Amino acid sequence: MSHSPFHADDSIARRAFLGRAARAAFGITLLDGVAGQVARGATTDADGVNIIYLMMKGAMSHIDTFDPKPGREEQGETNAIGTAVSGVQFGEHVPKLAGMADRLAVIRSMTTETGAHEQGTYLMRTSYPQLNSIRHPAFGAWAVHALGKRAGDLPGYVLVGNGNEHPGCGFFDPALTPVPIADPQRGLENIRRPSYLTQANFDRRLALADRLDRDFRTRHAGRQIESYDRMYADAVQLMGSSDLAAFDLSREDAASRGRYGQSRFGQGCLLARRLVESGVRCVEVEMGGWDMHRDLWDDLPKRAGELDAAMAALLDDLQARGLLASTLVVLATEFGRSPKVNENAGRDHHPGVFSCVLAGAGVKPGVVHGASDKAGRLPDRDGVGVGDFNATIAAAAGIPWEREFIAPNGRPFRIGNEGKPIADVLA
Amino acid sequence: MKVAHGRIVRRIMPATVAVAIVAACCVSFAQVAVRDSRRAARLPAAVTTTPDSPAMDVAPVDAGRRSAVRDQARAIDRLVANGLEKAGMTPSPPLDDAHFVRRIHLDLAGRIPTHAETAAFLGDTAVDKRDALIERLLASPDYVSHFYNHWADVLRLADRPQRNLVLEPYLAWVKDSIRTNVPYDDWVREMLTADGRSWENPAAGYQLRDDGMPLPYVDNTVRVFLGTQIGCAQCHNHPFDDWTQHQFYELAAFTAGTKTRVGTRRTPVPGKEPRTLPPPAARQLVKEARETKGRKAGAIAQFIQANVTAVSYRDIALRLPRDYQYDDAKPLDEVSPKLLWGEVPSEAGRTDGREQFAEWVVARDNRQFARTVANRMWKALMGVGIVEPIDDFRPENPPSDAALLEGLTDLVLDLDFDLREFVRVVVSTSAYQRQAVVHDPSAEPFRFPGPALRRMTAEQIWDSIVGLIAHNPWSVQRPTVDEVADVAGFDIDTATIDDVERQFDAFVQRFGPNRRERDLAVTCGYQGIWLMKASEMPSPLPLGHFLRQFGQSDRETIDGARSVPTIPQILAMLNGPVTHAVLDEGTVIHETIVAQDPEDVVDAVFLTILSRRPTADERDVAREEVLATADPATGCGNVIWALLNTREFLFVE
Repeated sequence: MSHSPFHADDSIARRAFLGRAARAAFGITLLDGVAGQVARGATTDADGVNIIYLMMKGAMSHIDTFDPKPGREEQGETNAIGTAVSGVQFGEHVPKLAGMADRLAVIRSMTTETGAHEQGTYLMRTSYPQLNSIRHPAFGAWAVHALGKRAGDLPGYVLVGNGNEHPGCGFFDPALTPVPIADPQRGLENIRRPSYLTQANFDRRLALADRLDRDFRTRHAGRQIESYDRMYADAVQLMGSSDLAAFDLSREDAASRGRYGQSRFGQGCLLARRLVESGVRCVEVEMGGWDMHRDLWDDLPKRAGELDAAMAALLDDLQARGLLASTLVVLATEFGRSPKVNENAGRDHHPGVFSCVLAGAGVKPGVVHGASDKAGRLPDRDGVGVGDFNATIAAAAGIPWEREFIAPNGRPFRIGNEGKPIADVLA
Repeated sequence: MKVAHGRIVRRIMPATVAVAIVAACCVSFAQVAVRDSRRAARLPAAVTTTPDSPAMDVAPVDAGRRSAVRDQARAIDRLVANGLEKAGMTPSPPLDDAHFVRRIHLDLAGRIPTHAETAAFLGDTAVDKRDALIERLLASPDYVSHFYNHWADVLRLADRPQRNLVLEPYLAWVKDSIRTNVPYDDWVREMLTADGRSWENPAAGYQLRDDGMPLPYVDNTVRVFLGTQIGCAQCHNHPFDDWTQHQFYELAAFTAGTKTRVGTRRTPVPGKEPRTLPPPAARQLVKEARETKGRKAGAIAQFIQANVTAVSYRDIALRLPRDYQYDDAKPLDEVSPKLLWGEVPSEAGRTDGREQFAEWVVARDNRQFARTVANRMWKALMGVGIVEPIDDFRPENPPSDAALLEGLTDLVLDLDFDLREFVRVVVSTSAYQRQAVVHDPSAEPFRFPGPALRRMTAEQIWDSIVGLIAHNPWSVQRPTVDEVADVAGFDIDTATIDDVERQFDAFVQRFGPNRRERDLAVTCGYQGIWLMKASEMPSPLPLGHFLRQFGQSDRETIDGARSVPTIPQILAMLNGPVTHAVLDEGTVIHETIVAQDPEDVVDAVFLTILSRRPTADERDVAREEVLATADPATGCGNVIWALLNTREFLFVE
C-alpha cells in the first residue's frame, strides 16, 4: 500500500501533523532515531562490566548444594563430593560446578532475618525491606543507572522469568524496568508486525492512536500514564532494532544449546550470554521450584542438575569468548533451608544462614568466604548480610557502592543499603 | 476481496463519507488483499452463537432493598465528606453516564459494556437507571466471573499446586460460593474447618493448598483474613514487629493437629526419609502398580497418592523449634494454644483447636475480620485501601481515615457479611460515582475525592477484548466438583489395582496432562488463543500468556497481580494475535458496525471500544482516516486498532 503519510501522495501539512503527533507520543520519534537516543539518557560504549544474575526462587537448600555437612544427620540423603579446591566440598548434585570451584567465590555465611519468600526476594534484589510507600530499584536497575546502557537499541536490563513480584526500576526512570522474557525458546514474542500490516500503515496507526488518546493523557498526566507512554515508545524502538537476533536461540547450534540443558533455566542462561554479547548490561535469569517443603530428594537432583549444567556451561562459554573478565555472574537465593529434615522429608524456610556464589569480573576465584556452624544453622564466622552482598556485587562491577541517591520521598538510598563490600572475595 | 454486503450496499447513501465508511465495514478490517493465509480462519462455532440461557443461575439481588442501600450509601458518603473536609480537599466532579456505564461494567462484570449495553443505558431516561443497572450486573454470570478472578488472586487458586493435589473441585466451589452469594463468615469458616478429599468436600482445598506447610498456612490465613503479617515471627522476633516467635507458635498450636495426608505420622529417623506413612492398603496398591503396570506405574502411584491426600484433624501438641533462641521458653518446649488478641467465642469453647481458631477468626466480635474485608472490597472498587498494603494492619501503619474504615466495618457487620450487598452499597455512593483521580502512593494519604485512576486488571483487559471478538465467551466453563469426583476417587480399602487403573484411565481421559488445554483449543481456539472468560481458564497460566504478560498472578503469591507496564505487553497489543483477532471478519465489533447506519459508524466504533461518543475533533480525524485510505476497510480497522492502543482503553477512568 502506498497510502501512507510518510511516503506517497498526502499533503505536506498532513505529513507535518503526523510527525508532530508521533514525536509527542513516542518521545523518541519514528522519524528521528538520534533525538531518541538523547532522550533516553546516557549511553556509554561497550565498556564496563555486565552482570548475569541467577536467582534461585523458593530458597535453595545450602546444605544440599554449596555447604554440605557430611557425617551429620542434617545432611539427609545428599552426599558430599570433592571440588577443584582442596578441602572444599559441594553437594553431589552440582558436580560440574564442583569441578570449577577454583573459578568461583562461594559465600557460606549469608544471613538474613526474613523467612518469607516475597519479602526475602525483594530484600535480596533491593537491599531494602519491602515498604508500602516506596518501591526500591532492583540491583539491575542500579547497574544500568550507574554504568549506563550500552550502545545499540537493546534494553539495558532483561529478566528471564516472572516480572510480577520483581521490584523492577523502583523509583528510577521507568526506562530501567527489566524487559521480561517468559520463555527463552520463544525469545521476544510479537516483536514483528503481522505480515499483512505494512510499515506505512503501522506508523499510521501509531500516529492515529496518539491523536485519539491526547485528551485522556492530558486529563490524567502523571507517572502511571507516562510509564505506559514510555513503554510504547521503547517497544516501537525495539521493533526497529537491528540487534533482535540476540533474542533468537535458534541461531545457536544444537551442541551449544544442549550443553546448557534443555530446561527453561538452561536456555535462559544461554539467552543471557547472547544478550550480554550483544550489548545488554544486565540479565537476570530466574529458576523456580526450590521451595522443597516435602520430598526434597525427589526434586533436588533435577533442579540442582539443571543449575549445575547451565551455570557451568555459562561460565565456560563466557571464558572461551573472553567475556568472563568483563561479566560478573551471581548466583543468589532469598534464604536457606532448615538443616532439620521435617516429617515430610523436606526442609523448611531458614533465613539463619545460606550460601551464594560469585564468579567472573572483579571476583577473586577459588575462595570460600565465611562458614556456617557444624549443623548449618547460623554463621560461624564472617556473617554476610544482604546489603553486604549487594555492595560486593556493586564493587565487583565497578558501581560506586557508596554513592547515595535521593528517592522521591527525600531519603537517601545506596545500592547495598548500609552494607559494605567483602574485600575477601574481590579481585 | 470479499464482495460488499448486499443489504448495506443497496441503501441510499447520504454522502460520500458514508459510502466510504460503509464500504469499510463490509469487509474485514484487516487488509484483506495482503493478509496471509493463516488469518483466513473462521471463528469457532461455539463462540459465534449466542446461547439461549445464561451461563449460570446467579442468586437474585433484592430490589426491595434499594432505598435501604441508598441510606447506607449516604452514610458512607458523609464519612468520606468529613475526611475530605478535614484534609481541606474538594471532591472530584460527578461521573457522567458514559464514564459510569464503562466503570460499573468493569467493576461489577469485569469487562467493558457492549455497544448495545452502552447505547441502551445512555438512551434510558429513567431516574433510577444506575440502580437498576447495578442490580442487573450483580446478578449476572459476569459478576461471578469477575469476583472469582479477585479471589483467585487472593487465595492463590491453582488447579494442581503439587503433583498429588487435585484442586479443581476447590476452584469450582469458590466460584459457586460467589454464584450463590454465601455469607463471607460462613464461607471462611467452612474453608478453615473442612475435612476430606477435595472432590468430596471441596472447601478442604483451602487447607490442602498449603499441604506440608503448617506454619506458612497460619501465616497466610492471618494475612488474608485478618490483614496482619506475622510471617517474620515464624523464624525470629522482629525488632520492629509486634509479634514474637513464641506468639506465632502459640497461634499455630490451634491448627497443629491438621493433617493433609491420610496415614500415620512417623517420627523422623536420622538419615532416613521421615514422612506421614500412607495406610497399608495404599502402600500395597502402589507396590502392585510398580510390579504390574509398567510405564504407567509412576503416574498411577501419583493418582493413588492424590487419593490419600485429604484433610483431617486430631489434637496434638506443637513444640518450639530446635533452634529457639529466646529466654521466655526453651527449644522443643510444648506450646499451649493462645490467640493473638481477643478470645475464643464461648459457643466454640468445647470444640477442638482448629474449630476454635476458625470461630475466633470469623467472629463478629473479632472486628479485624470484618475490617480486613471491608478494606479489601473498598480497594477493589476505589483503587486504594484505607490501610495499605491491605494485609499489613498495625499501629505504625494507621488507616488514612479511621472513621471511614470503621463505618465500612459496621456496614459489613450490618449486612451480616453479605459481600455482594456491600459492593452494591459502595458503588451506589456518590464517592464512587465521581471522576477518577490520579493518586501518587508516595504522596500524602489518599482521602478518596473520587476513585483512584487505575489500569484494568489483566482479566478485565482480556475479557473486554474477548468481548469484542466472541459472541459467546462462555462456551466453556471450568470443571465442576461432580465432573472431577466422577473420575478422581476410589475406595482405597476395597479397590484392586485393576479398579484403580480403570479409574486412572478415566481420569487421564478427562483431566490428564494438557488434556484441558487440548479440549479448549478445539472448542474455542482461534489464532492460537482461547476465546473464553479468563475465570474459566486453567490456572496458573503459562508465563507467556497474554494474561500473565498483563500481570495476572502466578497463583503462588497472595494478591500477586500487578499492573505495571512492560515491553511484552505493548508488543502483544501492537502485534499479537489478540488485538488482531478483533479486526477479523465475523467478530462482535465487525458485526456491530456492519449493522449501523452509515453516519453512525465512527460513533459506533468509539461507543464499542471506549463506551463514549467521539468529540467533534476525534470524529473528524477518524472519518478522515477512513476516507484517506485507499482500502476503506483498512482505514476503519486502523481506527479500531488505534483505540485499542490508547491509554484510555487500558485505564479505568
